[in-house]
Amino acid sequence: MSTMTAGPAESTLAAADFDALSGEVTEPETIAGARAAAWERFNALPWPTKKSEEWRYTDLAKVGFEALTPVVPAPATAEALSADVREVLGRSGERAGVVVLREGRVAHLELEPEVARSGVVLSSIRDAADRHPEVLKRALLEAQPGPAEEKLWSLHLALLGGGYFLYVPRGVEMPAPIHAFHIVERAGTLSSAHSFVYAESGARAAVIDEFLSDDLEAETVSLHGATITGEGGAGIEYVALQRFGRGVKRFSTQHVTAGRDSSVVTFNVALGGDLSRADVTSRLDGPGSDSEMLALWFGDSNQHFDHHTLQHHAAPHAHSDLLFKGALTDAGSSVFRGLIRVDKGAQLTDAYQTNRNLLLSESSHASALPNLEIEADDVRCSHGATIGQVEDGQLFYLMSRGLTRRQAERLLVFGFFDEVLGRLPMEGVRARVREAIEEKIGL
Amino acid sequence: MSRFVTVARVDDVPENGTCGVMAEDLAIALIRSGGEVYALEDCCSHEEFPLSDGEVEAGEITCLLHGARFDLATGAPRALPAVMPVRRFDVRIDGDDIQVDLG
Amino acid sequence: MPRNETITELGLDEYKYGFVTEDKPVFKAVPGLSEDIVRQISHHKEEPQWMLEFRLKALEVYYSKPMPKWGGDLSKLEDTLDEIYFYLKPQDQMERSWDDVPQEIKDTFEKLGIPEAERKALAGVGAQYESEMVYHSLKEQWEEQGVIFESIEDGLAKHPELFRQYFSTVVPTHDNKFAALNSAVWSGGSFVYIPKGVKVEIPLQAYFRVNAERMGQFERTLIICEEGAEAHYIEGCTAPVYSTDSFHSGVIEIVVKKGARFRYTTIQNWSNNMYNLVTQRALVHEEAKMEWLDGNLGSKLTMKYPSCYLVGERAHGEILSIAYAGDGQHQDTGGKVIHAAPNTTSQITSKSISKGLGRSSYRGLCKVYDGAEGAKSNVECDALLLDETSRTDTYPYIEIDENTASIGHEATVSKVGDEQLFYLMSRGLDEAEAMAMIVRGFIEPVAKELPLEYAIELNRLIELEMEGSVG
Repeated sequence: MSTMTAGPAESTLAAADFDALSGEVTEPETIAGARAAAWERFNALPWPTKKSEEWRYTDLAKVGFEALTPVVPAPATAEALSADVREVLGRSGERAGVVVLREGRVAHLELEPEVARSGVVLSSIRDAADRHPEVLKRALLEAQPGPAEEKLWSLHLALLGGGYFLYVPRGVEMPAPIHAFHIVERAGTLSSAHSFVYAESGARAAVIDEFLSDDLEAETVSLHGATITGEGGAGIEYVALQRFGRGVKRFSTQHVTAGRDSSVVTFNVALGGDLSRADVTSRLDGPGSDSEMLALWFGDSNQHFDHHTLQHHAAPHAHSDLLFKGALTDAGSSVFRGLIRVDKGAQLTDAYQTNRNLLLSESSHASALPNLEIEADDVRCSHGATIGQVEDGQLFYLMSRGLTRRQAERLLVFGFFDEVLGRLPMEGVRARVREAIEEKIGL
Repeated sequence: MSRFVTVARVDDVPENGTCGVMAEDLAIALIRSGGEVYALEDCCSHEEFPLSDGEVEAGEITCLLHGARFDLATGAPRALPAVMPVRRFDVRIDGDDIQVDLG
Repeated sequence: MPRNETITELGLDEYKYGFVTEDKPVFKAVPGLSEDIVRQISHHKEEPQWMLEFRLKALEVYYSKPMPKWGGDLSKLEDTLDEIYFYLKPQDQMERSWDDVPQEIKDTFEKLGIPEAERKALAGVGAQYESEMVYHSLKEQWEEQGVIFESIEDGLAKHPELFRQYFSTVVPTHDNKFAALNSAVWSGGSFVYIPKGVKVEIPLQAYFRVNAERMGQFERTLIICEEGAEAHYIEGCTAPVYSTDSFHSGVIEIVVKKGARFRYTTIQNWSNNMYNLVTQRALVHEEAKMEWLDGNLGSKLTMKYPSCYLVGERAHGEILSIAYAGDGQHQDTGGKVIHAAPNTTSQITSKSISKGLGRSSYRGLCKVYDGAEGAKSNVECDALLLDETSRTDTYPYIEIDENTASIGHEATVSKVGDEQLFYLMSRGLDEAEAMAMIVRGFIEPVAKELPLEYAIELNRLIELEMEGSVG
């Protein structure tokens, strides 16, 4: 990957003021105002501690935010696709467009002409602020994060340097996904990127966000936010494939809003980084809406993965189904904390939540906190969580067929993951995710 | 193999008192009871909390977070909610120095 | 089943123990908490100096700990605590003969059916009225075998060494705010010792009654079940209904030695103005078995999570919890199992019913420490919602540091199924009758574990159970 030159401001987060964070670009007032307000809120809020339920197992005090160098907003560049990005694209099947972001700043953006002609908009968030200020404000800038997320969300917004905006108009069906590459190259930085996906009624949208870096020597933090909105009858498929190198700590906050009869699939895959946290909220906002939430992770050495989810049933007759599976080896650790919340009046809710964990080594450990809060009576809700190991019988069978213990174990992990992979509708995306997992677990 | 490292002065640890020290990235609680100095890992085995903030009485230290108690000589748990021992270290006094065996 | 039985007639919402007995204490402290009150309690009990010091230290710890922000709504509790009586001594001494118990108190317990229960088949009975045990007796047969069943005060006075060896080792003062409060002002409760190999086949029973308005009850129970011994302890709790809130905060410490078995049953039926914040915990050694059977029907807010600390190989813990939350009630209950030794096993089963504006929450912990090889735990929670205004929550914590452990948790929430209702109604039951029958079926797996023939205060459950024969 090519090396970027440093941005204009090079102070640490501790020393930064808002002007230093703003760089030398002129921003639309919508964004500048929201960023300033977020910066103020960030500074006013205390860091969440391990005493709060949401951060009980991930200690933010151990992340040296203050010493990091924030990456400030910069104008979008129009660089050519690098060789490694082209290489991945060459193996990922069809796509409707490509976005490359470096430390959150849009460096390359292309949309297939045919898709563009159908009315689909793909731009930087900055450009969207000029052309679609209302929808951006409503869905992103004025979003209300939960109290435990607010500190990091405010920092994310305050640093919002780029990110992309995908808008699919009424009835338009994208033939293939947008493939976005979030690349982090500079060690010691704090950067932030946002994925904005909006599908009007009856539209179909698909996105794969792929997060990449080399192994970085200094602690580096990548913040990410996703705002995914489906109007009535829309269909959205969203995949976040996190394969950062070591040294990177990643925090992603994803908000899904599913309108009447819409259907949204989110799929988080965590493979890389030192610490990877994702807060995924699905708000079932319209009757008949459907949210499928999927995730896989595989942790080795001392990686720590933390997934928090909320299935928020705010409307009746909605359906949500969550399946999160993780496997850990070495001293890897993971947390799953999921909540199904059914509001008063959200009758005829169907909500399910399953978390399964495989522990492959003595030093690995996993925590599971599957929660329910139900305030309507005519519901079907259930959750299940298991923590265990691969079955001896299967392991010995494979070993008797000539595989080493490690190979057999990895093969079984892959089988364990397959149930989730199989639920991804788009074949090209599925192939890409499968390949990334194979590479990580070393099949 | 023993490897004694000086971590504090004898005066730093009063009778029925504690002193938290860092020795080669290890947090250690030095504790004096009945004239004897003991060294335990400075972290309760129940939930992360420094034992050097604890209270010493009759050969035991009480963690102030949830009341877990540990035997000073062995590190073994003596009251719930702790069920696991804390690591202990051999201690020797060399003149005015307290030395701990980091092995 | 009688034809016209309905949910209301099942008696879950009716409170039969709300009567008041005239209050004639021999000593009543001023309301509110202070160092003075703690000293008075210790003085009245003629305690050794170390216990007074223990209490005063605990009071400091209580003041230093913040009010919990999780669980139920405790925002008004601090005001309540300023108003309540922390110590109320109903009579001068504890009686061993029922005839010697003062008439009003006797009447109260007669109404609750205690002497009758004792006559029938209990191994021993203890009764606490306000702050003190007013009666404690153990059948000779057990006394001869060395079983100790005393008030906690007599335990301290008569068996000081045994007492001090175990007291506060299972639930230490600092454990939580309410354990600290109990440690400062404890009064009443039982001291139980089952010698090695002795099997007490019929239950020991303790009965807790709060009678006065704005009363705080802080019983402390210490139970030691020696190697290979077996026993079953049952407690029941009731109080009158007042417009002001009362407070109950017990601490129960149980040590179950190698190969022993102990079962602790609670039928909590406090009136709906009672805060009930209890710490119940058992230390379970090698091959021993501990069972908690926890029925929470009454109170305004209960926060109670019986725990098994499985510290010896092959120790087994079981928690069976049933909660009923009607209007104005929040049952925040569940259980904790801590696996700290190889091949330990545990099972938590929780059933809850929420009706009207009631809320029931399951809160649990399953923790497996590194080295607890082959540990197995299974948790099952079922919640039944009867009305659209009812609420239920499930908050399990699963923390696993051992890769050979096998852990499962499942929870379901449902309303009474239309199909079930229609089926029963097609068989001639009206809707209310059908509903009652389904509720009974739902709690039956727990109810059948209750020793109905002994525990008179299980009246409501008896109703549920006895009328279960389909008419």
